[in-house]
Amino acid sequence: MSDLRVRNPGWAGNTGEFDLTEEQVRGDDFVGTRPVEGGHPAATPSYAYMRAERDPEAPLFEGPYAERFEKLLTRYPEKRAALLPTLALAQEVRGHVSPETMARVAELLDLPDAYVRGVTSFYTMYNKREVGRFLIQVCTNISCNLCGADDVLEAFLSTTDTELGEISKDGDFTVVEAECLAACGFPTCVQINSRYYENVTPADVPNILDRLKERGE
Amino acid sequence: MAYPYTSDHEVRVLSEHFGDPSARTLEGARRNGRYETLKKAFEMGPDAVIDVVKDSGLRGRGGAGFPTGLKWSFMPKDDGKPHYLLCNADESEPGTFKDRELIRWDPHQLIEGCLIGAYAIRAQHVYIYCRGEFFEASAVLGRAVEEAYEAGLIGKDIMGSGVDIDVTVHIGAGAYICGEETGLMNSLEGRRGQPRVKPPFPAAVGAFGQPTTINNVETLSAVPHIVKNGADWYRQWGTEKSPGTKLFCVSGHVNRPGNYELPLGFPLRTLIDEVCGGIRDGNALKAVIPGGSSVPIMNAEEVARCDLDYEGVVACGSMLGCASVIVMDETTDIVKQVRRMAYFYAHESCGQCTPCREGTTWVTRILQRIEDGRGTEEDLDTLVEVTDQMTGTTICVLSDSVAAPVQSSITKFRDEYLALIRRGERVGAA
Repeated sequence: MSDLRVRNPGWAGNTGEFDLTEEQVRGDDFVGTRPVEGGHPAATPSYAYMRAERDPEAPLFEGPYAERFEKLLTRYPEKRAALLPTLALAQEVRGHVSPETMARVAELLDLPDAYVRGVTSFYTMYNKREVGRFLIQVCTNISCNLCGADDVLEAFLSTTDTELGEISKDGDFTVVEAECLAACGFPTCVQINSRYYENVTPADVPNILDRLKERGE
Repeated sequence: MAYPYTSDHEVRVLSEHFGDPSARTLEGARRNGRYETLKKAFEMGPDAVIDVVKDSGLRGRGGAGFPTGLKWSFMPKDDGKPHYLLCNADESEPGTFKDRELIRWDPHQLIEGCLIGAYAIRAQHVYIYCRGEFFEASAVLGRAVEEAYEAGLIGKDIMGSGVDIDVTVHIGAGAYICGEETGLMNSLEGRRGQPRVKPPFPAAVGAFGQPTTINNVETLSAVPHIVKNGADWYRQWGTEKSPGTKLFCVSGHVNRPGNYELPLGFPLRTLIDEVCGGIRDGNALKAVIPGGSSVPIMNAEEVARCDLDYEGVVACGSMLGCASVIVMDETTDIVKQVRRMAYFYAHESCGQCTPCREGTTWVTRILQRIEDGRGTEEDLDTLVEVTDQMTGTTICVLSDSVAAPVQSSITKFRDEYLALIRRGERVGAA
């Protein structure tokens, strides 16, 4: 990973005295290929992932995703409790949770449609509208804000030429403001799809965007 | 020098293996002695485990500081019902970043703690509720749980003891309020994460209507060390009422921000000046929030005399919370930062109780007005009055949490508000 032009991606620290690869920092299993069917049922919810490639029309669920959904159901005494991981799974497949998606999830879990809508709209991580291939969430809460998060947000917006929440013309980027991402010691923290980027400065922004385009992830 | 900064003042018990990727695997964890204490706990029996944790004086690390052993002892015995242990990994208090590090660098330490805790409270199932943004951390934790299942350390008849405990990693979806224990239970059950009215308390009616205990990641991670080494060993650090070590998350304007594991009772000024290498650019200190954004702001005079244990911080007009120390230097625009915190609470209010739903929004609007230079001196009185009515009038303490920074900043930094209102002067403005 020495070819990276981004400083310490994912690395919680900025002393530059470490010789760890991105895999070692984020975890091999996270960076490597992860089984879509969800591994051991105990860990199945933790296999949620935000992919750049997705299909808003994909059926819910089939193939390995159906297997993963079945595994989710085995871990709770009530079917309803699988709602959050199921919505996350639906979003992984389709990229956002539309009213049709909510209706389908309601059907799968024997819940009222309105109930599922109520729950989905409560949580910020379910995209109620389509977003770009890369959802860029910049933390602007106090610790990051003290260290210049507003400038980082501005740099992402101007470099992608978008307004907050808008999809860029090429369909690649949506930039939003995030509440505290629990990486306050390593400001500014930016979450892009499933990954954290820490110690991000405005100067890093073009490199990060180029890297996303190049690697497709 | 290891992860990312360390200090000679540190006592690294929980954070010993931060920055070492091999500690994450089961093989590495075994080499570090993980799961040996679990066996010892099974030999001791559940009541003896609760006793040692009680004697150690371990207090909940999620913010409230409630004694862990006492909490466990509230769980009913031989009631024939399923019991649940919930591990709260919904870390989202602004300024706090310890649980993510505990999970991603030493997941087996947490799993062992969960198993010991579950055994003590006679729970058959542990749910580790990770916040949804923790894709990386929960993937590491999920892999560790899988490894532990494969090795027979979780599941049926653990290590031939006859004890059955399941562990499931659950994920949230981005709601600060799910870190409140009853909100967390609702969220786990597939509902909106709105806190519940207490009583009934979780030990009587908790997750899925059954007796439940909720503990923070750091609390459970400390349990194996206490059970292994005994209560007296743990009490060698800290104070009589706040024993042990604690991870301090330092962020903001210091030269070396990061997680530092220190004995409770550590002087705050030494933490900033020595452990964290002082304030950036040699600037003067203006204010510190010692326990995450939900606690009152301290001024430099209070910081100078503050010792970081639960009682010591209260004596200096604030609270230790989850020991998330946010340091602000003289260039900080207090009005802007308080407005940003208020906005956070307005965004995260679950909307259940009127004082909170309306109050957080109106407080944010008034602060924004002041920040934009359109405020009046009466606005300050209005802020105090509104936040007074938001304190103690709601189901959970999110509403009280917005009152803390607003009221304390108006009291301690009134001049700064007035300079902005009267003369349009802003700190840090070019």
